[in-house]
Parts: sequence; structure tokens; C-alpha cells
Amino acid sequence: MKNRQYSLKVFETTIDNEEDFMSFFDTHQILFQDHLIVIKGRMSPTIKAYLEINNFHFINNFTLPIGRSRKALEEEFSLQKEGEKDHLEKEELFHSFNALQSEIDIKEKQLQASNKALKEEKIKNISIQKACQEKLEMLSNKATPSMTIIDNRIRSGQELNIEGDLLLLNRVNSGAVVKTTGSLIATQLIEGSIRCNGQLMMLSISPKANIVFHGVEVDNNLLKSQLNRIELKNREIHITQVTKKETNWA
Amino acid sequence: MGVVIAIISGKGGVGKTTASANIALGIATNNKKCVVVDFDIGQRNLDMVLGLENRVVFDIVQVMDGEAKIKQAIIKSKVNPNLFFLAASQTKDKTVLESPKVEKFIAQLKEEFDFVILDAPAGIESGFEHTIEFSDEAIIIVNPEVSSIRDADRAIGILDAKAQCVKDGNDIKKRLIINRISPEMVLSGEMLSSDDILEMLDIEILGKIPEDKGIIEASNQGKPIILNKKSSAGQAYVRISDRVCGKDVPIVNVETKSGVMSKIKRIFE
Repeated sequence: MKNRQYSLKVFETTIDNEEDFMSFFDTHQILFQDHLIVIKGRMSPTIKAYLEINNFHFINNFTLPIGRSRKALEEEFSLQKEGEKDHLEKEELFHSFNALQSEIDIKEKQLQASNKALKEEKIKNISIQKACQEKLEMLSNKATPSMTIIDNRIRSGQELNIEGDLLLLNRVNSGAVVKTTGSLIATQLIEGSIRCNGQLMMLSISPKANIVFHGVEVDNNLLKSQLNRIELKNREIHITQVTKKETNWA
Repeated sequence: MGVVIAIISGKGGVGKTTASANIALGIATNNKKCVVVDFDIGQRNLDMVLGLENRVVFDIVQVMDGEAKIKQAIIKSKVNPNLFFLAASQTKDKTVLESPKVEKFIAQLKEEFDFVILDAPAGIESGFEHTIEFSDEAIIIVNPEVSSIRDADRAIGILDAKAQCVKDGNDIKKRLIINRISPEMVLSGEMLSSDDILEMLDIEILGKIPEDKGIIEASNQGKPIILNKKSSAGQAYVRISDRVCGKDVPIVNVETKSGVMSKIKRIFE
């Protein structure tokens, strides 16, 4: 199999042997989690299912422009779109001409049929390009960091939905809900609910809180130290106690 | 222009109506013209606590709808010439209130009185929202128990979001009264201490009222406990009313206030 890093977030590969392919991705799974994988060669259903189960972003048989940046790639997309517009106009003219001449010329009809096939193929290509563009955008959004800092008391009945990371400097009262897609650091006592889907959480002892990290409820008794670090490592949740020496806010 | 103070709690049965009656009477005793308005439409209680139930002719819903004038509906207290009362409707429910009508009604009261006390209904529905909407200040009543505190927390959250003065960009002044504190239970650790409650709710304290059996009899007879100078709860309400009127009265720790029994206990410890 031939592998090539096309750009920071795009990886090119070919399928020669199914087993080789799958074992390669098994070992490098974490590496490719945030990549767009461009696969050349025939894709069997087994491979497709395998890629989908592991949440890889991939496209099949797409020719990437050689030696060009993402910007150039985007420019090419827009150019191709314009070309498609011209093509559609032409087709319309062609249709009106056909309406007049259809009875006379049967050969013309055959030409039209072949044209239609061409058009369908074009549309198919464009939909692939669009999917590719969307995936690229999604991945670049994922890469941009964002952090929110909140110093208000979260009162009962309030619900916070935070995109990205959150630094919480005040208490979360009983009956309040805080949800984050990124990491969470809370310096004060928490008595409400926490839903965190990020890499890491830092919490103090909170015996009354309802803590859910990546869909798993965290036992309050495990938070023993003044500050506890809850991390996701290799699909396992690790809780470590931060000692006084380690905590250095300044 | 007068000050509009809403008495709220979130949870029912913690003593909003009793507090409204006593604070209003305390303010009136300070020679300030005060009107207390029952906003608990459909569940009128304040008239009984004030001992004015047989004198209600018109209610606030009739005033807001233009069926009666404020002067016709206002009832003057027998106890204090500075205290006035406006009753809630007993036959209608909370949904009859509308913001523009409430705003006009409260503006009229503000012109005539130094203090306008609004007795909010329990819960956090429309009736509660209309009570706090045009208030300048709020007094939150809690009992030292977790359910009351969580409901009060929710009510404060709504207060911070929906009050008109917050929408105008100002903060609404909110103060806390802890009601029905039983000193023995706090000392033995069974009841939440005031410090814990203040830590949880993060607002200024206005006063602490000890549990007092005399309050039930006082309410039943229509004579607010503040009139009873010997009662510990009555004394607490006097201090609270003075603070509302702007006097600098130190907070008394009713939890540690030593009775005869606790003194004896301390000797043996």
C-alpha cells in the first residue's frame, strides 16, 4: 500500500490488500482520528464498514490536486462550479433546439441521451466535492480552540450549554446544569449537574454533584483531593488527585 | 417616589404572607406611609393575617381592570394610621394579570406611598413574574431546609433575568430573611446554619427570625406578631423593618442567643 501525507489534515492511501489496510489503521487509529483519509482503489464493503465503525472521515477515489495548498483546492472547486453553470445554460439551449427538431432528427436524440449521462456523472462528481469540502471545513472548525470563562453563580434551574472549553470560577448550585463540549475546570464547589465531553476535567471535592464525563457517571467518592483531574486516556477514565505542590494557579 | 419591595420565596408555606404583614406594620411604625398588596390572586390570605378580612370590598384585579378606583379599594388599618392594604381577588386566578396593567397600577401606588410591599404568590409562574417585574427591591424568605433553599435559588435566578430594572441595565437589590430558625437544632447540627445558607445563595442578609409558636396564634387572630414586644420573632421583625427603613441595626445571631436551658446545658458540658 502507498501512503502519503497530503497536508496537515489530509492523508492519502491506496488499498492493495484488505488485511494490510485494516491492520495499518488498527495500529495508527488515534493518529488518523482527526484526518481526512483519501483512499484510492476499489473499496470493499468490509473496509467501508470498518472505517464507518471507527468514525474515520474518508472519501474514495478522489483525485487531489498535486502540490497545491487547500486554498488552491478551494479555488479549483469554485472554478468547477462555474464551469457547471455554463454547462447547464448550454444544456437548456440544447433542449429548446431539440424540441423543434426532435421529429426530424433521431440522431439528435441519441446525442441528448449521451449528454444526460454526462450530466449525471458531473452532478455525482460535484456532490463528492461538496462532501469533501464540508468535511474539510468540519475538521478545521474542530481545530480552532475556544475557551469561555464564567464568574457568575449558576443558580438552580439555569442551564449552560458551552461549545468548547470552560473555566468556571463560581459555584454551581443544586438544580443547575452545566454542559460543555470541551474540557472543564471548576475551582469552586459544585452541587448541580455536570456534563463534560472534553479531554479533561478539574474538580474540587463535590459530594452532592452529579458528574457525567463522556456519558459515564463519575462516582463522587473518587474525588478525594482538594483538586482532582479526570481525564480520558485510551478510552478509559483516569482520576488523579492533584497535590498542593502541583497546583500553581499563578 | 416610593420604593417597591417584593416579598418572594419560591416555595410555599415558608412565611411570605406573615413576613409581608409584619414588615409592612413595622415600616408604618417608623412613620413611613406604607401599603401592602396581596398579589396571590385566587388564594387571598393577607387580609386575615392583618385582621381586615371583613372590610374587603374591591380587589386589585377590579382596580387594574378599571372597575374600581385605588382610593375605593384601599383599606386603612385599624392598628396603625400609616398602614394600608390592598386585597387580592379570591374568585379569579393568576392568569388575569397583564404586564401593562400591573405597571400602571404599581406606578400609581409609588406616587402616593413611601413603601409598597408586594406579597408574591408561591411558585414561579406568571403571577410570580408579574410581582417581581416592576419591583425595585426583593426580600427573599427561606426556611433553613434544602428544598426551600433550592426553590429560593431558582426564584433569585428568575428575578435576575426578568425584573424590569435588570432589563434596564441596573441590578435589583435583593436581601435574605431566614425564617423559623430553631436555635437548638442549629447548635446540634441538625439544621443548616445561616452561614451555610448565605454561602449557597450568595446574597446580603436582612434578618434572622427564630421559630416562635406565637406566630400561629397571632395570624389566626389577625394581630401580627410584631405587636407583641415580648416575642423573639416580633423583636426580629422590628429589627428587620428598621433595616428596611434605612436604620443601621446590627444582625442578631438568634441561633446562639442563650436561653435558660442552653445556659444550664453549657454549665454541664
